[in-house]
Amino acid sequence: MKKPTAGFKIIASLILAFILIAGGQPLLNHRNFKVEIVCGPGVTEIKKLSDFCQSLKGTEADTPVFILEGQQPGGQVLIMANTHANEPEGMISTLIIIENAVVEKGTLYIIPFFNRSARLNTRPGEGYPLYFSITTPWGMKKFPMGNRDASPLDQWPDPDVYIHYPEKQMLSYLDIRNTNRTWPGRKNGLPMEQVTWAAMELLKHKKVDLAIDLHGAETMYPVTNCIVAPEKAMRIATLASLTVKSMEGFENHVEPSPSSFRGLSHREIGDYSDTLPFLLEAPIPFLDQPTGPKTEKLLLDGRDDFLLNLAKKKKLFVPYDESGWSFDRRVGQHLSVSLEILRQYSKKNADKEIVVKNVPRHADLLKNGAGYFFKDPSEAEENKVIKL
Amino acid sequence: MLLQTLIISAVIILGYVLAKWKKLSVELSLLVATLGGVIAGSAFKTPPFWEIPRHLVEGSFTYLDVILVFFTATLFITIIQESGGVNFAVRSAVVHFANFRFLSLFFLMIIVLIPGALTGAGSVSLLVVGAPVALALKGLGVSETKIPAILFILAGLAAAAPPVNIWAMILCAGTAIPYVGFELPLGIPVLILGMLTVIILGRRQPESGNLQTFLETIDCHPKMNWIRLLTPFVVFFSLIVAYRWFPFNFPILGLPLEFLIASLVALALSPVRINLIRVASNTVSKLLPLLAIMVIVGMLQQVMAATGVKGLISYGTLIIPLWLLFLLLPAIIPISEGILTYGGAAIIGIPLVWYLNSLGYHATIVIAGLSLLWPLGDGLPPTALIGRLSIMVSGYQDSYWRFLKQTWIPWLIITVTGMLMIIFSAKLRFLVIG
Repeated sequence: MKKPTAGFKIIASLILAFILIAGGQPLLNHRNFKVEIVCGPGVTEIKKLSDFCQSLKGTEADTPVFILEGQQPGGQVLIMANTHANEPEGMISTLIIIENAVVEKGTLYIIPFFNRSARLNTRPGEGYPLYFSITTPWGMKKFPMGNRDASPLDQWPDPDVYIHYPEKQMLSYLDIRNTNRTWPGRKNGLPMEQVTWAAMELLKHKKVDLAIDLHGAETMYPVTNCIVAPEKAMRIATLASLTVKSMEGFENHVEPSPSSFRGLSHREIGDYSDTLPFLLEAPIPFLDQPTGPKTEKLLLDGRDDFLLNLAKKKKLFVPYDESGWSFDRRVGQHLSVSLEILRQYSKKNADKEIVVKNVPRHADLLKNGAGYFFKDPSEAEENKVIKL
Repeated sequence: MLLQTLIISAVIILGYVLAKWKKLSVELSLLVATLGGVIAGSAFKTPPFWEIPRHLVEGSFTYLDVILVFFTATLFITIIQESGGVNFAVRSAVVHFANFRFLSLFFLMIIVLIPGALTGAGSVSLLVVGAPVALALKGLGVSETKIPAILFILAGLAAAAPPVNIWAMILCAGTAIPYVGFELPLGIPVLILGMLTVIILGRRQPESGNLQTFLETIDCHPKMNWIRLLTPFVVFFSLIVAYRWFPFNFPILGLPLEFLIASLVALALSPVRINLIRVASNTVSKLLPLLAIMVIVGMLQQVMAATGVKGLISYGTLIIPLWLLFLLLPAIIPISEGILTYGGAAIIGIPLVWYLNSLGYHATIVIAGLSLLWPLGDGLPPTALIGRLSIMVSGYQDSYWRFLKQTWIPWLIITVTGMLMIIFSAKLRFLVIG
């Protein structure tokens, strides 16, 4: 083959430089993107996870903890979202709670970006959109799409195999940046182990009764559209599942937390604290492998022709038809099931009752869409607007 | 949507074929295919035209960690080579084991299996011990065309061997199955298949030179000795083992830094002065085609996902009737590895394991069986990662396809073993302990 000329090399270098700048700038913008949140009437205090683990202070893994304390004492609840930042319906659900909820009894601790570093990350090789926008009464509201794992910019290098603390189970090397594999965490561990350790400290110091971890899962994944709970939380999970089916008309079955699979919130929180853990999985067609292009539309409407054909061949684990499985439906499920878990717990523990008002449920989300429940930051009092 | 993704797939294939027809290298042909695919995709706004640079840049980072491991591991073994360590090891091994041929072949097999089994990367096996083992095989009278074939199959088995099997780990992570109980389902077939491979391909060839002639061609530096040679390897493996023994007290260094530390030890103990800058520069030049492939395959994967072609491949696998699927898996699995490397495990493997699990097949054994098939694809283009490395470290000069043809018997045996494990997974569940 002919050797390239100097002119060719210069032109090729210029094209490469252009692609690097034009392609790199959006990634940098994504990492620096901030979501504006309007603190609702229920927010009484904002702490940070570093308040429970000093070494997180000043790192990208540190993340806000919104506290909504009721007028009357009652049970304590932690709700976490964006443990996996590519499953954003949990994050939207928690933001709706922060902007709207009024707590009458008990206290809510809300962490909307639990693995904050993963929210700053993207997922190379998967072709995800960098953002998604939802329609609100005052315009479009934009949110970042993240990754399942923390960014290597914040935690690197990875080991060749990840050995879970303290059970010593071997897991995929990538899972050392996955905050649903690092529970119960380590004070002096890697940043993601510190994140889960800090959350465990919060659970213990505040004597939290319930911990709800909001997730999403593929429609081809057997553990989807469900509440995952260990033995000690099974009764409440079952009652919540039955109630949403009978009262609100949607299926959300219960899956037992496997005792041999370590590092997951629903296993380790139960084993290492007095808190009852629940992990909620809503079906996200976007995450399935056999789908068409990975677009914002697929993320939001959950409609896909390939999945529809696979559903007809009974290869999915959820009912799936032309209507897909929309974002609003997933957010609605998370909110309704979370509220139902609180209600069932309160019924059995009158002295630790938790009463939360003004949080929309499944039917409200289907009727109005998630965007309806967001407030306009430009209209809000300045001290109520938080940039995350 | 089907038509749209089929059109984009056709453009990708056409781009590759045209580029090869114009005699462009594999790397440039893949780049042409990637650019063709993303431009065709932008016609359907999947992705929008203005997002093309972002997808290319983001995709190029998919295998950054693998690239770093390749570079640092090659730097390490190049320093060992330049210090005279490789020649010393080969000469000593061949002299000591020449009279116990099967034992020496078995010993060499274990040497190749260990680095890959510990790291999950067959490439590490080849980069660390491939060159000396190739020379040792030559000294034992193995045909020069069969040496890269032995290395390729053993490196693949090393990657599949426990305790670290990346395909199984990706599948376990994606299917929420604990990565436990793989020791026997992976360990037993890997050892048996490895032994069969060295027995079948390691026969003494009448045309190969005699031992004395071979030994005379190998120069050894007088100051090279076992301590100088083994200390860098001991340091490297100690760093790997130390994390396993003291996982909560030993710092995580990562394979690239572990190789660099071992390289510095090798440099310090070398009996000849080595110019590190020159060696590092030569290493980059030598590895450039391989590194370029990794960068471009990452871009291609990103483009295939953004355009829906990746989903089409996964969908195509899942709509096949079960009997046909079993017939085609021996081709589908290696080809997916050849195109997507580890991406194949995520795209095809995860839905496949869920599907088979729901039909009563035992997930752990199915994953173990699939894990035997995936490494075969590392010899297939366009990536052919392990195949190309096998050729590189053994100094084989003939055509790539001639090398690949040499692997057909062990390839067939491995395929049959993997498929039997999948089909009879429920009956083999007794192998899963833990």
